[in-house]
Amino acid sequence: MKRIFSHLKPFWPQILVSSILMAVASLGQLLLPTLMSQVVDDGIYQKDFSIIVRCCVLMLVISLVSMGASAGGGKLSSLTVSGFTASLRSGVFHKVMGMGHPSFGQLDTGALVTRSTQDVETVSWAASTLSSSIISIPAMFLGGVILSFQVDPALASIILCAVPLVFIIVILIGRKVFPLWEQSDAYIDRQNELMRQRLRGIRVIRAFRREPVEHEKIADATHVMADNIIRSNVAMQSLNPVASFFLNSAALIILYLSAVRMQSGVSAATGGDVLALVQYITFITTGVLTASFAIVMIPHTIVACRRILQVLDLPDDEAEQGDQTQLKGNICLRDLTFSFEADSEPAVRGITMDIQAGQRVAIIGSTGSGKSALVHLLLGFQQAQKGQILFDGRDSRELAASCIRRQISCVLQKTAIYTGTIRENVAMGKPDATEEEIWRALDIAQLRHYVEKLPQGLDHQLELAGSNLSGGQRQRLAIARAVVKDAPIYLFDDSFSALDFLTESRLRARLREELRNRTQIVVTQRVTTALNSDCIFVMDQGRLVDWGKHDQLLSRCQVYREIYLSQTGGEEQ
Amino acid sequence: MRRRTLHPEVKMTTREKLSIYAKLILEARPIWKWLALSCLLCLIIIACAVVSPQLMGEVTNTIYDYWSASVSGGEAFPLVQAIVPTLLLLFLSYAVSSVVRWLNMYLMNNVVSHHYTCAIRIRMSDKIRRLPVKFVDGTPVGQILENMTGDVSAMGNSIHQIVEILVQGVLQLIFIAAAMLLEDWRLGLIVLATAPLSFLLSVKISGASGKYHRASLQESAEIYSVVEESYTNFATTKAYNLEQAMEEKHSQANQRQQAAQAKANFVTSLVQPSVTLLGALTYLTINLVGGYLAVQGAVPIGVVVTIVLFARQFSAPMEQIANGLSQMQRVTAASIRVFNFLDQPEEDPRNGEVDPRQIQGEVVFDHVAFSYNPDQPLIRDLNFVAHPGQTIAIVGPTGAGKTTIVNLLMGFYDITAGDILIDGRPISQMSRDQARELFGMVLQETWLFRGTVAENIAYGRPDATREEIIQACDDAYCDHFIRTLPQGYDTVIGDETTTLSGGQKQLLTIARAILADRRLLILDEATSNVDTRTEILIQKAMDKLMRGRTCFVIAHRLSTIVNADRILVIRDGDIVEQGTHQQLLAKKGFYAQLYASQYDQAI
Repeated sequence: MKRIFSHLKPFWPQILVSSILMAVASLGQLLLPTLMSQVVDDGIYQKDFSIIVRCCVLMLVISLVSMGASAGGGKLSSLTVSGFTASLRSGVFHKVMGMGHPSFGQLDTGALVTRSTQDVETVSWAASTLSSSIISIPAMFLGGVILSFQVDPALASIILCAVPLVFIIVILIGRKVFPLWEQSDAYIDRQNELMRQRLRGIRVIRAFRREPVEHEKIADATHVMADNIIRSNVAMQSLNPVASFFLNSAALIILYLSAVRMQSGVSAATGGDVLALVQYITFITTGVLTASFAIVMIPHTIVACRRILQVLDLPDDEAEQGDQTQLKGNICLRDLTFSFEADSEPAVRGITMDIQAGQRVAIIGSTGSGKSALVHLLLGFQQAQKGQILFDGRDSRELAASCIRRQISCVLQKTAIYTGTIRENVAMGKPDATEEEIWRALDIAQLRHYVEKLPQGLDHQLELAGSNLSGGQRQRLAIARAVVKDAPIYLFDDSFSALDFLTESRLRARLREELRNRTQIVVTQRVTTALNSDCIFVMDQGRLVDWGKHDQLLSRCQVYREIYLSQTGGEEQ
Repeated sequence: MRRRTLHPEVKMTTREKLSIYAKLILEARPIWKWLALSCLLCLIIIACAVVSPQLMGEVTNTIYDYWSASVSGGEAFPLVQAIVPTLLLLFLSYAVSSVVRWLNMYLMNNVVSHHYTCAIRIRMSDKIRRLPVKFVDGTPVGQILENMTGDVSAMGNSIHQIVEILVQGVLQLIFIAAAMLLEDWRLGLIVLATAPLSFLLSVKISGASGKYHRASLQESAEIYSVVEESYTNFATTKAYNLEQAMEEKHSQANQRQQAAQAKANFVTSLVQPSVTLLGALTYLTINLVGGYLAVQGAVPIGVVVTIVLFARQFSAPMEQIANGLSQMQRVTAASIRVFNFLDQPEEDPRNGEVDPRQIQGEVVFDHVAFSYNPDQPLIRDLNFVAHPGQTIAIVGPTGAGKTTIVNLLMGFYDITAGDILIDGRPISQMSRDQARELFGMVLQETWLFRGTVAENIAYGRPDATREEIIQACDDAYCDHFIRTLPQGYDTVIGDETTTLSGGQKQLLTIARAILADRRLLILDEATSNVDTRTEILIQKAMDKLMRGRTCFVIAHRLSTIVNADRILVIRDGDIVEQGTHQQLLAKKGFYAQLYASQYDQAI
């Protein structure tokens, strides 16, 4: 928890001042009934109107001061909370951006996104709700108790009892409601999941005439959800009638006891004092009720904090160390063995591979053959348990990860599109790229034609995840980004899968021409993509089975032939 | 950077707003009896609210009289006996008020959740049954989900609010105002004069804070998208050394959010103090005037106390109303979205009995024209005949619109001219549901629902026996791996299941189509992310499935294409060429080019 609250540290002067202001404001509220008792005792009883006027002027001053203190405290605390939130939020984001793949892979992406956004919001919300009550409620309680003790300790003890009672009720109800809320999230998720499934499968559902069944499922889920919402609402909203009943009863008891004590002459309380006492209890309990929301949310907040800590506690496994150097593009893998988890089956084992600068090679294999692991190793996302990777004869571990990545321009299997313009997306490969270079890259990637037709051209705005592009366009945009980057090595991981064959063959022809003398590595499962490479490496179940030209492999490599036949449907050419 | 708006602000005339409110209220027709009962309960609550301050005033008066009498050495009376009956009455009033408030709350929650929000949600779900596929394709899923959850909830809250505002709020205001004026018209007027001020103030402030909160929400959405894209694109971000750039992007959005949030929180934090201040002003004015009148002996002290208590009860419904009004904007927008959804035009069910046993499986496209939107005609004049048992291959580049033919055959979209005939009968004269039942379908995007393997396979024939299911799986080459699952055929699977590979899911959908056993078949050959061995199994299973059926295949495999009875070549949505493999090659057109790019090494 310390690591979360440390983000509050820079704000301690604001916190201190705003706490004082809040305490002043709530004490001011308590003074009003005290003054009223003076109005009654000294003014009305003595029939002295000047005292009444004096008290009222005092009330006005106190109210204005309270208001000013509240506003000032509110201003400071909202600045503090928003500053704290921003600092925490960027702290979490910075942490994740600095992670390496092994840490990043520990939590799934959706969970990481939730922790960096929603959980931070929850903590922020709790902070802002608590900040307004954490000082004012105890201040009011203490002030009320002290003031009423001066009047009559016996009557004051009723306040002492009533407030904790209301507090206990709040906590009891909170404990009942909290799990119901958690559940209701689960029910909403369930309904949403059913709905999403139904909308996604609408063609299959209609083809099989199963709409009524799907509708029933959702109707059932809706009823279950409603029951749960009712239960949690009823529990939550019981707070008000129950608490106000206790509060009002406490006021009645005060009246009764004060009458008894007055009659027996034990109490020195005046008529005005009794009035003041009744109002203290009202003020304090109303305050407690207002704060109850924040109190009920505390467990929820703790859960959110724990989830954020899960991220903050992950190891920083990517150290930016090692040499920076200019590479030529020779790559050697020496007996490389790697598994994603220490005790699991190796994803690649004993791979030895030589790629000369300027060569065009393909790595082919079906799913699970270890191609992707190889890509991760080349880019330094993961470190091999055994063996080494040599760039121009230098062990990759001597080189900084950022140096290697600067010199491998890649398109990864999962096409990455960022919100922003087409220009911004391409220029990520080369921040200082000229207009001309960007157009050339788009031209090579076979996307120029499309972009030219757009009304905004290069400044066409892309939605989140490039959802306003087709799969093929996304892939070509990512290729343009890789091409604009000037590097000795180009790596394409399954990057042509969404392209039709015609576009792909044009693209490959352009790449061959434009990237002449650069090392090109194409990772694929399509034989047609690999066909014309200088050398094809065939992978199967983590091993390198064979390498050579297409014709050689077709005649001697069983795995390659199987892949070839399965993709051409058994037709020999 | 462009901002996304979560929900565009709705600008409406008063008249349109009123018609939405009328619709909202009409929607509540089935529950009007309950609402009436709730109004009755509200009257009891109000009665208690009017009576208890008066009783309280009486008690205070008596105590004050006793005290002043004892101080001035006047005649002492038995104080306790004097106030106990009133105290008991007060207790009774508090008890009744609390119990009735609880009952009313319970009632409203049950009625509104069960018979209002739940009913609307179920109607929306029911609506989906009859919506055209076109609507579902064109509407983001997230939007429909938000309509069904958030928007409907907002509508439900509005019913709470209408009852609270119209009945409890307004009536309570009127009754308390009357009671105050009767108690003492001068003091009563003070409260009546200051209350609207506090009302206006809280309306203004919550309006302003709403604006800032919306701004802050929008910045949050911005941050969310930066975070999401940085994480989902993590590998590329790392590979291009973009960490710094992403942090910069994040920090900019973060700073804007910080400023917006500080403003929103500050304005919100002003609401309570300002209401308190106005309350205090009322309070001191009552003290001043009441004190003066009491000194003059014009009113007893109890009346002042009663008015102080009334003032408090007068401001509570005011705040409630202000609160409700500030939310009305949101409710209106939400209701419009929900009503829009419910008022969508529905799919015409079409009439005409179809007997699947009589169907031979001849399909004719006769001068068919179609477009997704009227400005861009796609298919202008498509003609071909598929004889029973023939295979029609649909080929073309990715994204060229190969699924259009499927959409038309299945009646997911309607053709704009011409006819599609099955065994000589236009499908426009067949019940849509029954016509769909003539087809089996295996799509590339496999669809499995959360349920057991057996349930998923029997989806097209819920009455199938376990033996039939196993037989179908055996034919689809998936019996073997199903048996290796933890609970075999009873293993629960779903879309997100990771225990099954993409290829295995594909096999399950083939088994589903085999079991459904329809005369006509629509197949979409998978291309990617299937390992070699499964790929071979899928091909064998599909070959088996196609035997003896009229098939429309979105084809990727050379053998399917070469052996097809007819090939439809699609480009940019339109059918540009058709014929057999040999005919098309001889034509040396787009197909020949496409074929060469894939299989000719010479390029």
